[in-house]
Amino acid sequence: MILPMVVAAKSLNKRYRDVVAVAALDFEVEKGQCYGLVGPNGAGKTTTMKMVYCIVTPTSGSLRVFDMEVSLQPRKIKARLGVVPQENNLDPDLTVCQNLMTHASYFGLSRDVARSRCQELLGFVQLSERSDSRVPDISGGMKRRLVLARSLINNPDLLILDEPTTGLDPQVRHLIWDRLLELKDRGITLLLTTHYMEEAQKLCDRVLIMDQANAVDMGSPAGLVRKHVPPYVLELRVERRLIQKIQERFRHLGHQMSGQNVYFYGNSQDEFEEIVAAYPDTERIMRPASLEDVFLKLTGREIRQ
Amino acid sequence: MKAGILAVTPAFFRVWRRNSQVYVALLKFNILPSLAEPVLFITVFGLGIGSYITEIEGVPYIEFVAAGILGSAAIMQATFECTYGSFFRMSIQGTFESIISTPVSASEVGLGEISWGASRGFVNSSLVLIILFFLGILDRWQVMFIPLLMFVAAFNFAAIAVLVTSRIAQMEYFRFYFAGFILPAQFLCGTFFPVSRFPEAVQVIAWTIPFTSVIDIARTLMLGRPADFALFLEGAWVFISTLIFTELAVRSMHKRLVR
Ligand SMILES: Nc1ncnc2c1ncn2[C@@H]1O[C@H](COP(=O)(O)OP(=O)(O)OP(=O)(O)O)[C@@H](O)[C@H]1O
Ligand SMILES: [Mg+2]
Repeated sequence: MILPMVVAAKSLNKRYRDVVAVAALDFEVEKGQCYGLVGPNGAGKTTTMKMVYCIVTPTSGSLRVFDMEVSLQPRKIKARLGVVPQENNLDPDLTVCQNLMTHASYFGLSRDVARSRCQELLGFVQLSERSDSRVPDISGGMKRRLVLARSLINNPDLLILDEPTTGLDPQVRHLIWDRLLELKDRGITLLLTTHYMEEAQKLCDRVLIMDQANAVDMGSPAGLVRKHVPPYVLELRVERRLIQKIQERFRHLGHQMSGQNVYFYGNSQDEFEEIVAAYPDTERIMRPASLEDVFLKLTGREIRQ
Repeated sequence: MKAGILAVTPAFFRVWRRNSQVYVALLKFNILPSLAEPVLFITVFGLGIGSYITEIEGVPYIEFVAAGILGSAAIMQATFECTYGSFFRMSIQGTFESIISTPVSASEVGLGEISWGASRGFVNSSLVLIILFFLGILDRWQVMFIPLLMFVAAFNFAAIAVLVTSRIAQMEYFRFYFAGFILPAQFLCGTFFPVSRFPEAVQVIAWTIPFTSVIDIARTLMLGRPADFALFLEGAWVFISTLIFTELAVRSMHKRLVR
């Protein structure tokens, strides 16, 4: 028997007036997976997620969540979802705990159930002490943790996380990563966007790289790295006037530019020896290739307007 | 996705409850300021001007104007709540987006907001009614229908307000709405003196605004005047226009929120 996918998109399109936000997108998320959407600003990640949680209507194509079409059964789908939106939209007039209680009421949970879920979830995101604080009085990291707690109030089967860790300090980021991995262990499916490739690499089983409304490639983080870039990278930080000279001299080695950095790719570290010998005093890092290199290669190093 | 009143389930009440919870949390900011205008009206029109115009249509001016002050308290409160209040929740706080990410639908947010605005108008005019009672101007049993009537009037204006809110890109457009519709409605609809005193054209405009009918019905009840068939038609117009505006507002809110 083939298990139905948690999310299945087939030639999914979304157009806002004359802006094509998502074009002919195909992807499938299996139960229990953490599925990542990455791509430059404006690639269409948020739009894709909003279609999954039924607040943006697809222009064409099919999008099934829990084997139900989003346009036909949004209420049933949303009852089983948790959403962490890109922008915090907490209720500033309510306390931390009241935010959770009110959100629980939208799902029709009884006050008793909501109260015990509230205690439990505030513990889960380490906010128990701030239960009675007003939202404007807590820090950005606390707000993000509260939004995460809020998204779990209905025990969702699918958790949608739109840049859950953007703008957070490393401690909070690690806390959130820990929690997300814990949720995944419990069998919750995660659909995540991030601009941190380290995060995608750490959390995601599958990553879809999007650019300008289109899917560029999809695979496991390690698989994508293997497919698109050689295993070793040498990053050189050089003065602008030297860039062209270096590029010409080492034309035979695969390389890319990004600002003042030149990235050389090689199959072994030995290949970089002549560069290091030629510019011994230049600031440099040698490291294994990562998803970040794939991202930059596939979506272009230069910032697009 | 279906939109409109017929697609609404009782879940709309969860939106009402969210608003009422915030209202209670900020109670001290809510009750007194909204009573300021009606109390001022009672003082200025009822007692001040009323001491010059001793009688109008055969009754003391304060008794005549009471219906207008009550109606005005109801619609102004509903209007503020569903213009600036709703817009703030919609565009600035992201509250509506957080709600429609749950099983509650955009249409339910629309109706939740309207019914909440109506409730605020109801509460405000009921408080004014109590004040009027203590001033000794209410002495007929028909007055007990007034709160219900005021709820409908507030509902009517809340629906129009949500319709406007769902269609504007920025808050500044409300200035046109207030200057072009709310202020005229507040003063042209027989609130402070009889509509029949206006030129014909103004009378026609005034009677198309359901608020004129609301005031007329309220006045009939409060002064114990006999009801006639015209009054029944006025009631029907208030009711039907409320239904129409509510449907339009709910659909429009859906369109605004679900893109
Ligand atoms: N409501 C809207 N109306 C019109 N255009 C929109 C709307 N929402 C998004 N867009 C456009 O759709 C495209 C995709 O936007 P989207 O927010 O999905 O990108 P994203 O990948 O989430 O970007 P970011 O990384 O910056 O969050 C952009 O060109 C954006 O301007
Ligand atoms: Mg986004």
